[in-house]
Amino acid sequence: MRESPRLCDAQEKEVLTVNIIACVKQVPDTEAQIKVKADGSGIEEGQIKWVMNPYDEYGVEEALKLKEKNGGEVTVVSVGPARAMETIRTALAMGADKGVHICDPVFDGADAFVVANALAAVIKTLPHDIILCGQRAIDDDAGQVGSMLAEALGLPQLTLVTKLEYTGSTVKVIRPIEGAQLSVETVLPCVVTAQKGLNEPRYASLPGIMKAKKKPVDVKDAAALGIATDAKAKVAKTIPPPARPPGKIICGDEPAQKAAELGRLLREEAKAI
Amino acid sequence: MKEHEFYVGMEGREVFWNIPLPAFEILLFALTAVAMAIFGYGVYRRWQMWKAMGKPEMRLDNMGERVKAVILEGLLQVKTWRDLYPGIMHGLIFFGFFVLIFGAAFDAGQHHVTEPLFGWTFLKGNFYLGFSFLLDLFGLFVLVGVIMALDRRFVTKPDRLGYKGKMDTTPDDVIVLLLIGAIIVTGFIVEALRIHVTNPPWEYWSFVGWLLAKTFTGVELDTARTLHLASWWVHAILALGFIAYIPYSRLLHMITTPANHFLQSHKPTGYIEPIRDFENAEAFGVGKLEEFTWKQIFDSDACTRCGRCQDGCPAYLTGKPLSPKKLVQDIKTFWLEKAPAAVKAAKAGEVPTEEEGGKALVGEVVDLHELWACTNCMYCMEHCSSSIEHVPKIIDMRRYKVLTEADFAPELQLTCRNMENNSNPWGVGAHLRGDWAKEMGVKTLAEDPNVEYLFYVGCSGSFDDRGKKISVAFAKILQEAGVSFGILGNEEGCCGDSAMRAGNEYLFQALAQANIDTMNGYGVKKIIAICPHGFNAMKKDYPNFGGNYEVYHHTEIIAKLIADGKIKLPEALKGRFVYHDSCFLGRYNKIYDAPRQILKAIRGIEVVEMERTLDKSFCCGAGGARMWMEEDIGDRINNTRTKQAMDVKADTIAVGCPFCLTMMADGIKDNQMTESMQTWDLAELVVKAMGKEEIKPPVDTCAV
Repeated sequence: MRESPRLCDAQEKEVLTVNIIACVKQVPDTEAQIKVKADGSGIEEGQIKWVMNPYDEYGVEEALKLKEKNGGEVTVVSVGPARAMETIRTALAMGADKGVHICDPVFDGADAFVVANALAAVIKTLPHDIILCGQRAIDDDAGQVGSMLAEALGLPQLTLVTKLEYTGSTVKVIRPIEGAQLSVETVLPCVVTAQKGLNEPRYASLPGIMKAKKKPVDVKDAAALGIATDAKAKVAKTIPPPARPPGKIICGDEPAQKAAELGRLLREEAKAI
Repeated sequence: MKEHEFYVGMEGREVFWNIPLPAFEILLFALTAVAMAIFGYGVYRRWQMWKAMGKPEMRLDNMGERVKAVILEGLLQVKTWRDLYPGIMHGLIFFGFFVLIFGAAFDAGQHHVTEPLFGWTFLKGNFYLGFSFLLDLFGLFVLVGVIMALDRRFVTKPDRLGYKGKMDTTPDDVIVLLLIGAIIVTGFIVEALRIHVTNPPWEYWSFVGWLLAKTFTGVELDTARTLHLASWWVHAILALGFIAYIPYSRLLHMITTPANHFLQSHKPTGYIEPIRDFENAEAFGVGKLEEFTWKQIFDSDACTRCGRCQDGCPAYLTGKPLSPKKLVQDIKTFWLEKAPAAVKAAKAGEVPTEEEGGKALVGEVVDLHELWACTNCMYCMEHCSSSIEHVPKIIDMRRYKVLTEADFAPELQLTCRNMENNSNPWGVGAHLRGDWAKEMGVKTLAEDPNVEYLFYVGCSGSFDDRGKKISVAFAKILQEAGVSFGILGNEEGCCGDSAMRAGNEYLFQALAQANIDTMNGYGVKKIIAICPHGFNAMKKDYPNFGGNYEVYHHTEIIAKLIADGKIKLPEALKGRFVYHDSCFLGRYNKIYDAPRQILKAIRGIEVVEMERTLDKSFCCGAGGARMWMEEDIGDRINNTRTKQAMDVKADTIAVGCPFCLTMMADGIKDNQMTESMQTWDLAELVVKAMGKEEIKPPVDTCAV
């Protein structure tokens, strides 16, 4: 990559410890049964088991690794309703030091733009060298917050990262591209979005879980951030996917006959060939 | 010294014949005092070491049972007899010595107590003759026992007296055997020389001495007297040396093993003491030696290295590094290294300081591969002739790795997360739990709580495709028999057994509490489980958290329904069947008969037993959370078990556990036996034998 003047400057002053922000989102468990509300305004939340977005978990894990290797502090930031506190505590149990919970009913229908701005408003007030986000959340699969956050903060962004190396003044990452790998380096501070393969998130230890209960979490509402909360994009309607038609097993003794039947069904019924 | 006059009615002997009294008597007393002092010091020092390390633990409840255990397992050697050759070997030495000690006590009692004080001698007449005969007989027993032991140590060398083919014989093992042998041999020589000199007509009752005396024929009487005196002293010094040697050698087991029988747990088999305080503890489980209880450490001092545990350990026998014997011995060695400093610190009233660079208990003294290889099958504890409790130690150390360090196999971490998020190890959506029953007309307790039994289905029966067939089969049996039952449906949760045995006590308690709250909410009294893991957990561990139920395994219920004529098995099945005992049914809950009664009730089949069966059954490999872990060292346990079924030419392995079913099915596949072997849960077999199995009509294109 082209070396920018900023990169040279940064290399001169070695950063010893590193301030890391990990952004997390609480999402429904992948196995949870999703039921769409009758009016199509969203999903029924009653029976859902909520978990930390798996891509954000990679981010938290990488943040903890960086801290363990270099020293520093990990702050978890999340935008979400009251229940999102569980997810912040999960990250604290894994080893993060403190949390910021941006919690306000006005964020209920927030889009990526609003969320990114909310995160940026908080992060601006915190010392930050590396900001880690999941590459996308598994609920809406939008994949926009990380990039928008970098823009809002005016920082370089490294997306879909599977390997991260912190040199003290820069971050070198690997990003898989079709059939190859791209190696990218940038100065601090920067935003990195985590992809599967970056690490294996740790299982929280029990002393960690117990300590997490006492770690500080700063709860902020929209007024405290002083940002616009009008979403640029709105969900018009939530529609469940069509029910999957039942599968078919072709019975019979003769393989050739079964193959012919399969071909017929694929052509005539499924119209796949 | 006057010689005896021998005539009928004078049968007896002078106790200290040929021993110049009182000078030698005083010397003997002095030597005895020295021996006793050395013995006493040794035991005292050991006592301090036992006290110095480990957390407190009370083991003084159920006094009657404890005394009974000492009599049965200590005095009568019940546990050692279960293995014939070593049982006889040890019995000969033990009972032989026991009788000989009585002999010596009778001699001393007459000479020092009854005769001088009351002028009463009892070692005479027919009593003396019988006494002489018994002493010689049991002396001979000891010798035979010693020879059998030497044969095991040096000729037959069974694997269990070593580790991975290497014998672990120490000099002490040999010294002890030779010492015992020498005491007996010199005893017989002393007797023979006395008989040679005094030659009383009745001494053929002392048949060994009498026969041996024949070899001294021709020896001058004076020479014989000198030899007698010399060998008498050798015998006395060896015997006193033996006493002095006890606390410094493996002979200490004469004290520690009966003590360990006395101190054994009186909780149900496989009971694991829960962690009762999560909030205020800094560390969980056992990561340091001193975090064991003193009794857990004491266990290791009661170990005689007999290797009974190793003989049936599925991990050891399939090439894993774990041997319960080695594990206990490694803990003992570590304790012996650390205890002296702890004793010193205790004396000075200090807390022992952590030495820098010392070995770690978990990871170094006990290798992590050993720790995680255990299937919790309970073979070691069932067969330990010293009542050592291996499995709770393993779980305690696993707790340390999982809870305190959160450092454990990634696949097991995933299993734990799945249990956390979806209350089942596979991580299938929790809302699908009750789906198997949808077309069966089985009601949930939410729909009808007024039923006699709760059928606790468990995770395998709810989510595993093969396991679901067991649930369907068992529900069908209950319906046919008109049993009043219901399920919890989606309100049911994972029983938590795998989490607990993996060391994740925190998760286990959360899962257990959730189930207990639901069950208590419905006023559940009786539970039937098709999985022995849930069955065992609910029966033994749930009471700790307010869950008190009558818990049955489905094989118990089915056996009863058959016996009561509630279900009929008119259909004949075909084949050579073998029943594989699930550890959590068999050794854990002593349910050996019910499954076999069910098989017996099925027409047309031949039932055989595997070589390792009943309380010696070989684990399928899935217990102790091993179900969810990779098995990458040695042979696969399930394949080895399947081979044992193949060895008896069985074509059907009947099981009573969904974990075993999975393991046997995989074993059949891996052994390439799918054409000729099958495995079924007993409930499925019963449904076939009832003639209630659905036969799907053949169709060309069948919808699923």
